[in-house]
Order: sequence, then structure tokens, then C-alpha cells
Amino acid sequence: MSSLALMRWLEGRPERYDSGMRALTCGRIGPLHAAVAEAAVRNAGDQVLEIGCGTGSVTVLLRARGAKVTAIDQAPEMLEQARLRLADDDAVAWVEQTAAEIDRLPTSRFDAVVICLCLSDMSPSERAFVLREAVLRLAPGGRVVAADEVRPKGWRGWLQRIWRIPQAALGWLLVGSLSRPIRDLAGELQAAGLRVSDSRTWLLGTLELTVAEPEP
Amino acid sequence: MSRSPAGRVQDWLLEFLQTAFRLFPWPTEAGLRSIGTPDESSPVLLTCNYDLTVRRLVAALAGCDVWLVVAPTAGINVWCAAAGGHMSSHQIVSALKTSGVAERVRHRNVILPQLAATGVLALEVFRRCRWRVRFGPVDANDLPAYLASGEKTDAMRRVRFSLRDRLEMAASWAAPTALVLGGGAFFIRPEWALPLTGLVVAMAVLLFSVYDRLGPRRKAIFTLGAGVGSVAATWLAGGAAAALATAAIAAFFVSALLTYDYTGSTPIEGGSHFEERRWTITFDLERCDGVFRCWEVCPEACFEKLESERKVALAHDERCIRCGACVVQCPQDALFFEDEAGARIEPDVIRKYKLNLLGKRSVEAQ
Repeated sequence: MSSLALMRWLEGRPERYDSGMRALTCGRIGPLHAAVAEAAVRNAGDQVLEIGCGTGSVTVLLRARGAKVTAIDQAPEMLEQARLRLADDDAVAWVEQTAAEIDRLPTSRFDAVVICLCLSDMSPSERAFVLREAVLRLAPGGRVVAADEVRPKGWRGWLQRIWRIPQAALGWLLVGSLSRPIRDLAGELQAAGLRVSDSRTWLLGTLELTVAEPEP
Repeated sequence: MSRSPAGRVQDWLLEFLQTAFRLFPWPTEAGLRSIGTPDESSPVLLTCNYDLTVRRLVAALAGCDVWLVVAPTAGINVWCAAAGGHMSSHQIVSALKTSGVAERVRHRNVILPQLAATGVLALEVFRRCRWRVRFGPVDANDLPAYLASGEKTDAMRRVRFSLRDRLEMAASWAAPTALVLGGGAFFIRPEWALPLTGLVVAMAVLLFSVYDRLGPRRKAIFTLGAGVGSVAATWLAGGAAAALATAAIAAFFVSALLTYDYTGSTPIEGGSHFEERRWTITFDLERCDGVFRCWEVCPEACFEKLESERKVALAHDERCIRCGACVVQCPQDALFFEDEAGARIEPDVIRKYKLNLLGKRSVEAQ
């Protein structure tokens, strides 16, 4: 199943985003977020950059593990929802900007860069740029934690294609757009100079979490 | 290299499909393209990643040497993407930074379509990535003349809505409406499918031909006219009482679907399914210092320059469709949306939430 077909519709309605995403992923979004936070934070006090924080679902989990978070998102409505969730938390810096503007952030080194359900919204050239920039901003021993909708190989991929037809039609009618699953998440991370150290999937291989570290 | 006959048929089919179903997104690959043989001083243009737009733009630029940055706007055209938040300063900054165009040219000047001005804040783009935004002509066909002269004439500034534009818009509303009504009828009463489809096409062409000449009660007048016309045509064809009633009901439904809401898809009027029709553009003359950005970006040429006083005048507010481009671009914050009671929507709120009054989002945000 594709988790992101109605993403745009949900993005336009931040207050419904979390419940909508839970429904679209048959509840797998929760375990995915937990796994992302677990992979990103090794020690309390770790500096984590979260690209595309949305309504702050992952940010909350990163904070629960003691990370200091720089959370960026280009949608002011989503950031407002996230801020409400973590009001008065000084260990989170909220920044309204695009992923391509990582170079403008005051913090230059991060123990982890988290990109959850955000890469598939970008064009291939944006993804390549953002991943390259993310690698440059990793502290020694740091890692990129990327989770997104992907296109599984074999019959699962065909099942996903078929399933997406009605979803795509509905998505277009409702909001006029939808995201595309990433064909080779690990390959794109490798192209940015990263080595995959861990990978997990959910929902017949359509949701993937990949942890990658810079090549030595 | 010229296209093969098969390639030309493919192009024609794509053009037809994309025109008929232009209400839906048709994404094309975002990124940097070269047209002709551009070098490090060639102009940089930027547009949306709506396939029809990009193909027409490339065709219009034949013979020019330019760089074209295609921004990821969710496969939506410039006007809709800019008004709906898919073509904002963020998408422009991201496209300029990630496309690699900065490594290809020495300058940092980018030309955007004028109709992007409702969503893209030129000053914000400069602040974030040091690229200077200029808003070029409304119509891509004017680009060669604009690039050659560097001047945007009055005609290049205004949306024209020519007969061709009208017919394309008629097709884009008729195709999905006919598909729903004609397709639905095919399964219930197959003999109704063709007449209904014909009715939809005829009414759409008629609607876009005369709509702006019907005055403020245009929806009611058009519906009444379509109903009377359909009944008369059915009567002339020898229809019985039941057929006359059916024609009247069909005309009413088709009219309701076609005139439901354009949300800015024509320069005739803005969207109508929001309660803020009473919001109008107003401006603080004291703040205006004659930068003339509003005059430059207004697609309806509502403003006039008062050169001697270095001010603008809102000379044609009756033409305003409340796209908000002037409010968004004014560096002096001299323009607002204001209601009859004097309540204002401040420019920064409009910029932040893409709060133009073409869409219904204004209702929620307020």
C-alpha cells in the first residue's frame, strides 16, 4: 500500500495529518516513527537535524530520547502544529525553510540527519543535492536516517502500482497532486557517498527505513 | 532535428489530452534544461513542472539561447500552483539551489512568469539565495520579444483570454464534465450519453464565449438561457413533453456543473465559493513610494502609474480578481485586503499563508 497518495490533501490540513497518515499506513506509521527515532539517537544530547518535520511526530520521539533537535519544514501551517506539540521546549529549534537550505543553518555538525517521508516529495535533483549536503553536515560517527515510501521489487511493486491507481485518481481529484515512491532509496544514499548500515521495511516492502553512514 | 510523423502524432495527442484534462496535474521532470546553446551570460528562466507549460515554453523559445529551470510544483501550472501554495518562494529557492544553474551562469538574475507573482515573493527569494527575480510576460509567446528588448510592454503584462484561450478553457471544463455526465448516462440510459456529451460541449463553448458579457448575474442568466435554448431545440426537433422536461433538467445540471466555480481559472472573475467576496484591494497612499511592483505584476492592469507623484492609482478596481499579487510583491506593505467594515488582512499574513482570495483557504485562515 502506498502511504503517501493522499499526502498533499493531508498536508493542507495539518490538524488531520497524523490521524490521516495512521489510516493510510494501516497504523504502521507509529512503528516507523519509533524506529526512526531509535536509529537517529544513540546518546542523550545528540544533535539531530530533522528535515521535513511536518507536525512534529518524529520530533517528539527524538526529544523523548534526549536529542537536541533542529527541525525544518517549508510549510508554516505544519510547523505551527509541531510547535504546539512541543511548546516551551528550548531543545528544539524550529526553522521554516526548504531542505535545500541546510547550508543556512547555524548548527554545522549533526550526529544524525533524519529525513522521514519527505524525500519522495522532492525532485531527483533536489534529493541528490539534499543528501550530499546532509553528508557534509554530519559529525564524526554521524548517520543519515531516511524513511520513505519506496517501490518494492517483484510482485509487491506491481501490487503497489495497481493499488495506487484508485488512490492516484482520488488524490488528483481532491488535491491535484501526489508524491511518487522512491525506486532505489539505498542507491540514492550510496550516490551521496553513504554506506548503508541498516535497513527495514513495512507494509509489503512499501515503507522503508534505511540508516547510512559516510564511507570511511 | 524535426520530429518524425509518429512523433508528431504523439505530440498532437498529448497536446489534446493535456488541454482537455488540464484541470489535472501533468508533472514533468524538474531540473535544469538548456534551450539553444546558452552560455554563462545567457538569461535564466524558471517555470513550473506542468508538462504542457514546459513544452509550449520550449516551443515559444525556439531560436533563443537560454537556461530553463523547471521547478517542482507538483505538476501544476503556474497560476494554480502559485495561488495554491505549490509555487512559492520555497520551491523557487530549492529549484535554483539544487538544479545546478548557479554553476552554469555568472549572473544571478532569474525571470519568472508574471502569473507566479501571487505566490513567489521576489524579496524573499533574494534574501534566501541571492537570486534577483524579475517577472516576465504573462504569455510565453511574448518571451522572445521580451528577451530581445528587456522591456515588458503593457500588452505583455495583461492576461488576454483570446478566442484560443477561451476554447481551450471550454475544452478543459467540458471534458471532465462530459466524462462524468455522459459516462454516467452510458451505464444508466445509453441513449442519453451522446446528447448529454453534445450538450456539455456546446454549453461550455457558449459559456466561455459570452460569459464576461452577461454582467454580474451571469450564472443565473446563463442557466436560464441554456435551459430555454435546450427546451427550444428539443421542441424544434419534435420532442414530446417528457423530452422537453428532460432537456430543461439536463441543461440545469450541466450549467450548474460548468458554472460552479472557476477559482481563478479565467481572468473574468476570481473564485466564488468563499464568503469573502466583500474583501477588496485597498492601499495606503502614504506608504506608496512609486516602486510600481503592483503595476508590474497585476494581470488585469488595475493600476496606473502617476509618474510625476511617484505613486500608483487603483484606476480599474472593477477588474480586480483578488489574486493578491500586488499585495505580496509590494516592498512598502502599502496594499491590503480590506472588507466593508475596514478590517484588514495584513500583507505578511497573505504572504505566509498564500492567502489570496482566489481560493477558499482564506475562510479557514481567517
